[in-house]
Amino acid sequence: MAAQGLFLKKMGIHFARFEQGEPRDMRYRIDVSSKRRISIEQIEMYRESGWDYVTSYGQFHVFSSPAELDAPELHTDPAEQVYTLKGLDKKLAWNAGSAIIGMVLMIGMMASIWFLDGTPTYVMVDGAMITQTILTLFIAYTAYHSLRATLSIRDLRKNLVEGKSIDHQASWKNHHRIHTAAALLFTVVVGLCAIIPFIQIAKMETNTLPEGSVDLPIVRLADVENHPDLIRPEAEYMSDNVDWGNRVSSEWSLLAPVKYESYENGVVPGKLWEDLSGEYSPGIQTEYYQLRFPSMAKNLVWDLVERYLYENSLDEYVEKKHPDLDLLVVHEEEEMSEVFAAKGDEVMYVRYHGYADISSVIENVVEKID
Amino acid sequence: MAYSGGPMTEAMYYVLLALMRPNHGYQLMQAITEVSNGRVNMGPGTLYGVLSRMQKDGLISLAENDGRRKTYEITLEGKQALRTEYDRLKALIHDSWILEEDAGNE
Repeated sequence: MAAQGLFLKKMGIHFARFEQGEPRDMRYRIDVSSKRRISIEQIEMYRESGWDYVTSYGQFHVFSSPAELDAPELHTDPAEQVYTLKGLDKKLAWNAGSAIIGMVLMIGMMASIWFLDGTPTYVMVDGAMITQTILTLFIAYTAYHSLRATLSIRDLRKNLVEGKSIDHQASWKNHHRIHTAAALLFTVVVGLCAIIPFIQIAKMETNTLPEGSVDLPIVRLADVENHPDLIRPEAEYMSDNVDWGNRVSSEWSLLAPVKYESYENGVVPGKLWEDLSGEYSPGIQTEYYQLRFPSMAKNLVWDLVERYLYENSLDEYVEKKHPDLDLLVVHEEEEMSEVFAAKGDEVMYVRYHGYADISSVIENVVEKID
Repeated sequence: MAYSGGPMTEAMYYVLLALMRPNHGYQLMQAITEVSNGRVNMGPGTLYGVLSRMQKDGLISLAENDGRRKTYEITLEGKQALRTEYDRLKALIHDSWILEEDAGNE
């Protein structure tokens, strides 16, 4: 660079500032100090031998000397240089150690969230883990990088102990290019994924479900029940002007750009539950997902089964054939039925509490999922 | 690493030797070149490293400090260490008589 008239002025982790001047041959050396600051005495001592202080970055200090001055090397005794690098070695080892511990903790935490429930696809689609996953990758890269730095300083010290001095003409370009590209990529990805939670929050919405028909892929209680006397009961829990017993929420996530969840409750005045526990009051809950990748649909169905099976056993969930669905899983109990369905990139889960036949629920699912 | 009395590096030995007369920075470098009859040209990085380490280990101490320029001198402990190392080197030379004999035979 100096041969082209560009002289180093300042440096940071990825960028450096150069100043224009008369082209000349310059030698540059980096010296490492055990403390962050370099002492005036040291600068003075180097200057007297023909090395001018240029700039520092952390523990690294740059000196330059015009080639024609033929100043003596900064370090003439490899054995002594080993001591100089000891502080750096320690610091790097500590960095690498803590980065690796951090990475292991993160991976452990992630793995438990991903796999403890046995519903990895659900966790992915839900989207809450995307940011953490990418952050974990980032931490893993940092750990790898600091480990490499530690090992290369170890190697350097070992070589010095053996009396081999540093090759000041060694090529650095390749390593520099790879590192810069990786750093840039990570900066962009981490930056983007930092936005994701904000998009998710911004797109989250919950409203009271209108009593009339709505153009949403959710199964309505009235369609399943088909009872002329069915009415909506008085709202039991109101908050933020939303009737939480009759509500619909919409959400966005990276892997499920369209997601709805609805709850609906009804009552048929004058009709009683068969066990005479009170007025017949059926309820229905729908979860609808439109996935970015259709290949995830079947896995999501089984993850939803896993998620909602509670104390039931898996064999109570029966896979059925249906001409209009890719996958249909049903579960029936006396007053309750659950339907899990997938078609193309759509997945639907309906949980119904009432006396209507499950075929009525399935019909509605087929109609809405189309 | 505190100096524990083992073999010294060449740099340590010559700095101690040169500091038998209190000295500082650049002049110390020249003194080392002189003392070693021009054989050792110590770089400033090596010199600075040796000075700060040996000061920490108590082999040398500050004789004078006018802010920019520090003058160092050897301590009693440093002199003892230097003497021990000298004896060790002398023994090394003494034990090498076999080489002289070999040279005489050729």
